[in-house]
Amino acid sequence: MSNVVVDEAPGAARETRGAGRRRPKMSGRRKKEALYFWLFISPWLIGFVGFLLGPMIASVYISLTEWDSFTPPEWVGLENYSRALTEDPIFWKALGNTFYFAAISVPLGLVVGVWLANLLNKRVRGRKLFRTFIYLPTLVPLVATAMVFKMVLAPSGPFNDLLGWFGIDGPQWLLSATWIKPALIILSVWGAGGATVLLLSAMNGIPRELYEAAEIDGASPWRQFWSVTFPQITPVIFFNLIMGLIGAFQIFSQVYILAPNNNVGGPDNASQMMVTLLFQEAFSFYHFGYASAIAWLLFIVILLFTVIAFRTARKWVFYETEVR
Amino acid sequence: MMHKVQWRRGAGLAATALLGAAALAACGGGDSGDDGALKMVVWGGDLDKETYQARIDLLEAENPDITIDLQLIPSDQYEQKVQTMIAGGDGPDIMQVAENVNSYSSKSQLVPLDEYIESSGLDMEQRFGPVGDLYTYEDQTYAIPDRSGAMIVYYNKDLFDAAGLEYPTAEWTQEDAQAAMEQLTIPGEQWGYGGAGWWAQWWSFAYQNGGQIIDDSGRPAVNSPEVVAALQWANDLTHVHHVVPTAAEYADMGPDMGGDPAFAAGTVAMNTTGFWAIGGLIESDINWGIAPMWSGEQQAVSAFGSGLAVTRDSENPEQAFEAIDFLTDVEAQTVIIDKAQDVPANLEVQQSDAFLNPEWAPEGLDMGAFGESSEFIFRAPFIPEWNEMMATFDDNLGTFWNEGGDAKTELDKIQAQLESIIE
Repeated sequence: MSNVVVDEAPGAARETRGAGRRRPKMSGRRKKEALYFWLFISPWLIGFVGFLLGPMIASVYISLTEWDSFTPPEWVGLENYSRALTEDPIFWKALGNTFYFAAISVPLGLVVGVWLANLLNKRVRGRKLFRTFIYLPTLVPLVATAMVFKMVLAPSGPFNDLLGWFGIDGPQWLLSATWIKPALIILSVWGAGGATVLLLSAMNGIPRELYEAAEIDGASPWRQFWSVTFPQITPVIFFNLIMGLIGAFQIFSQVYILAPNNNVGGPDNASQMMVTLLFQEAFSFYHFGYASAIAWLLFIVILLFTVIAFRTARKWVFYETEVR
Repeated sequence: MMHKVQWRRGAGLAATALLGAAALAACGGGDSGDDGALKMVVWGGDLDKETYQARIDLLEAENPDITIDLQLIPSDQYEQKVQTMIAGGDGPDIMQVAENVNSYSSKSQLVPLDEYIESSGLDMEQRFGPVGDLYTYEDQTYAIPDRSGAMIVYYNKDLFDAAGLEYPTAEWTQEDAQAAMEQLTIPGEQWGYGGAGWWAQWWSFAYQNGGQIIDDSGRPAVNSPEVVAALQWANDLTHVHHVVPTAAEYADMGPDMGGDPAFAAGTVAMNTTGFWAIGGLIESDINWGIAPMWSGEQQAVSAFGSGLAVTRDSENPEQAFEAIDFLTDVEAQTVIIDKAQDVPANLEVQQSDAFLNPEWAPEGLDMGAFGESSEFIFRAPFIPEWNEMMATFDDNLGTFWNEGGDAKTELDKIQAQLESIIE
């Protein structure tokens, strides 16, 4: 920086400094470094600009048009948005279903994840085996999982047999408008092992001394969990919360595969989610404009919840490095 | 200094964007090479691929100047894939179309074929009979029929014999059918019929009653008394008469269970579906036969089929039509029945010995049932909004099929929704 200034004529207007009249020299090493930077970042950048940013910008435009993907788009302004928000009952139903799913499956998944991680962190015989078993469901392809779930959740299937032992008359799950969403939630919680592994590694990273100190102070295991373990793993819980929220709002494959009689979103739109609705509008009904508008409305919803999560994070997420 | 960094960043971004665009262009321009080969897309599974390829081999052997690249797309992704191809300006030359044909033709994505038909001297009426004009939209022909077969009744001979019943015939009425179903049902174990929850099934009853889904003026007419009676009957067979397994009973039999697999397993005594069930039944252990659909006030049955169309992206529509002409002519159509894939649309083949006595058929199989049915096939409304219409039925009838209910209430709702969908 300084040598550039030295080069300047003393009387030159200061504000034009660095306006590019002279090309300041860059050291060979810095040049090389910059070159490598662009070289190594380029695969991501090309992908991002070509496959994400470009389509995103295009979809803003498309959402303001009526477009069947074949004939030229027709400008309609904000009509797609107003139609979704004021006229289309299925949009609100799908949004409600998605909220229902996210509101239960995300917290439930976290609670189950923390609970399992805490259990697996105990020194028990065969704990490696248990850890493997808990993670295994996450590795099974979703299509295979859904096939098994169709059998397990059959009206006279094993799950209802199990409920029968407790005197509960199980519902028809996937065939019932009331119970298909809980069935989807069960399917999502079954994959809680993914979060468990992350939480477990966070628990392993907690210094033993903290527990020793707590024990000397006479803290019960319950108290130890809430005062030592929990605060230490909040960053990982927070990470899982954000990822879970985004994932839950974008639920698609499960609905698609579990759909009874290939009626995606059925019965009676009880399992219609935002992304399945979007997909149906775009690729089955040829309403690309409307589908793009739904996509952006979903984006706003996800953004809103992510911002809320980040805002409240200060209150409960504990970073050791930030201790004041 | 600041500026310099910014300039560099800008240049970097620009270069990236360029590279990205180049990469995209490379993807788009992929396989639509300049080798003059026609691209043909069809849906289905292994058997379909084998059959189409065998027909194309015949074509290429006789027309050395035509080469066709066949692309088979799994059925559930077909529409999306083709839509993306066309939207990207890389549509196929020849595509298979069915009920949804007019969502393409109404948006001028298909080439009208009338001119080519005329200059080639192809007589649609003579070659295909009543289905010759199946794929017309606003007086223009957009596809040539390729496969076309009525829905037929499959029946389990052993179960009929055990119940001491005569086998089904085209003379049966809905009442006869229901009486037989009742006698063939053993509660919780065996059912008389596989069910009529699919449009092709219960619409047949509606048209038998004299009803229409879309009336002659193009307006929806689904809450007419005739259609209501048909839907109610179809549903009552399950929930009132218990001669059809309920959705819950099917779900208990296994994942993705329905009439076709349950019939092959010998659990239901009658099933109404298309030609494709034959392939699986030849391999099954049950003793089965086929018959034309029973009737109501009048005879009516739905048909399944597909046609071949030329898309607007084709660089050589003339040659594409020439290929379709050959593929729907006798020699190539005979392959369809030899491979037991489907019913060929070509009438001459349908009436040939190759069709009536195919090698693979079990002894005494009445292949004439297809020909007999073709006389009373009703014309399903291939409206451009076909997919939306289907979704409207599915959305509103989900609980109705699963739990039973009042057909009038549901069809009134559907009628109102269809009126807003169909302009």
